[in-house]
Amino acid sequence: MHGPHRLTCEEVFVRLDDFLDRELSAEEIRLVEEHIETCAACASEHRFERQVVDSVRAKLQRIEIPAALRAGILARLASAGEEGQAS
Amino acid sequence: MIPTELVGMAATDLDSLLLPLLNGAFGTAMHLTRNRADAEDLVQESALLACRGFKTFEQGTNFKAWFFRILTNCFYSKYRKKKREGTQLELEDSPELYMYCQTAAAGLHARTEDPAAVVMAKMDSEQVGGAIDALPEEYRVVATLYFLQDFSYQEIAEVLDVPVGTVRSRLHRGRRMLQKALWSVAVERGIIGELSPQTEDEA
Repeated sequence: MHGPHRLTCEEVFVRLDDFLDRELSAEEIRLVEEHIETCAACASEHRFERQVVDSVRAKLQRIEIPAALRAGILARLASAGEEGQAS
Repeated sequence: MIPTELVGMAATDLDSLLLPLLNGAFGTAMHLTRNRADAEDLVQESALLACRGFKTFEQGTNFKAWFFRILTNCFYSKYRKKKREGTQLELEDSPELYMYCQTAAAGLHARTEDPAAVVMAKMDSEQVGGAIDALPEEYRVVATLYFLQDFSYQEIAEVLDVPVGTVRSRLHRGRRMLQKALWSVAVERGIIGELSPQTEDEA
């Protein structure tokens, strides 16, 4: 009799990138999460990789468009609307 | 001359769709061009192209992907440098779990439960941005769209007009290369030395 399918550490490792990006099927995500809940080593690797991705994203998304550039684009969009109404 | 179908209401629609994306567009342009003046020109020109081409945008579809496709196409056609600049990372030297292994070897896993958080907390936005900018172009473009815009593989594929498998491959490799760059920065700036000083027994 076959037991429920469970992933090995190697199988989780090869899926780690796609798991980080939520690009696995729902069933594969469930299987990876199930493994991580019980395997300290894989959980440690996942937590580390997730933290790096989240930290990079947070630090890169702080940049703001220069006020003058934003104002220039706004003016161009407003001008486009006025030109259309005048024609 | 603006087409009559862009009168009033259509321009307002573009405003509401485009303006929330400008910060992200500028950040993306900065990492694509690696030059502030070019980045400003790229965003300006992309916004103008979006305005002119707005009648071709199908309402209800993914405006963000539509606009960033304009931006990246504009980058490729006008702003990408033919001559490679900056540090080029070697893919062969970027194994999987690079930072994980390096921080373990430095003894950080024994000192903290969250070594990644501890290291990354000491890196500023400029350092992280510099690591992105060190990636070769094909990896830098995908990584920028992924990290700054939270695009999915499919959305990045639509923006770049490449297969999803290509996006996946470039992103995974790009992340490994990025980890090598981040580690290099962390070592050069003394972050690792500060976090893992030698004890008297180790010295």
